[in-house]
Amino acid sequence: MYRALAVLALTASTLTSRASGQVGVQGVRDLNFGVVLPGVQSSVAPTDPIKSGQFYFRTPGIGSRVRIRFNLPNRLSGPGGAQMNIQFSNGDGLLMGTSPASFPVSINPRATTVLQATTSSDANVYLGGTVSPSAGQAPGSYTGTIVMTITVF
Amino acid sequence: MRVLKSVSAAVALSLSLTAVGAAQSASGSINATALVRQPISISAGQNLDFGIVLQGTPKTIASTAAAAGRFDATGTASANVNVAFTLPATLASGANTLPIGTWTGCYNATANSNGAGCTAIANLAATTPAAFGGAGNLWVFVGATVTPAAAQAVGNYSGTVTMTLTYF
Repeated sequence: MYRALAVLALTASTLTSRASGQVGVQGVRDLNFGVVLPGVQSSVAPTDPIKSGQFYFRTPGIGSRVRIRFNLPNRLSGPGGAQMNIQFSNGDGLLMGTSPASFPVSINPRATTVLQATTSSDANVYLGGTVSPSAGQAPGSYTGTIVMTITVF
Repeated sequence: MRVLKSVSAAVALSLSLTAVGAAQSASGSINATALVRQPISISAGQNLDFGIVLQGTPKTIASTAAAAGRFDATGTASANVNVAFTLPATLASGANTLPIGTWTGCYNATANSNGAGCTAIANLAATTPAAFGGAGNLWVFVGATVTPAAAQAVGNYSGTVTMTLTYF
């Protein structure tokens, strides 16, 4: 819990400006595996500055208790109804406050994460994952939807 | 009158509790995307062959010449690739070396031909974007110049040219 609190640390001036805000979530960047080859597993780390998925969320203010949940796909859909497996592991989530003093905290995207915002009110969440194309995976573009829900209570 | 006051107080308390206890939720979404490509295959179609060279006489094989070196590649139809080379600075014959340089190249995605339709590669030392043809083929041709010294040791000289294709 202390680590999560530190991640959300912000300066006092920022806290003032955020204090009256509402709960919000924004999808910033897709989780992009790029080119993958049939039969070759491919992973993206949440620390990847280009390929990792990114969400931004804000809470009403300091003291908010936040619950983070993901709706994760098991498969990506491709051409002609083809599907490709995608997995998320315990360390595929990364939460990072917006303060320069913040440091990253690993979160499990498959589990519900609860934290309390004590000194900050917004953060970015980065997401990695692994796709496992089969040996006979049909060439083409595959996609799936990841949803992140923030509940403040 | 007292009854009304009590009711008002109860309502106010109730509203306050509701406001404190309410949970606010918000959701956002992103996509997970991947692009499946078939593995790239590259074979040595033809060696770059200078034939006989004479001491003190440079010899050039153009990438458009019949003796040019050729790589034959297959991959996903119409997919973009970066073309890169690892080029030797010398050919070797035992301990003797023969300088080679001034590399040239061209690629053709529609036919195994370094004539018309072969797109020049401006700089073989840099990465060049290209694409497989509609049938998933790409032919890449290379040429160069060898510069034997006046006292170049007689012998058979050889070196290795490596081409790497990477999807992008």
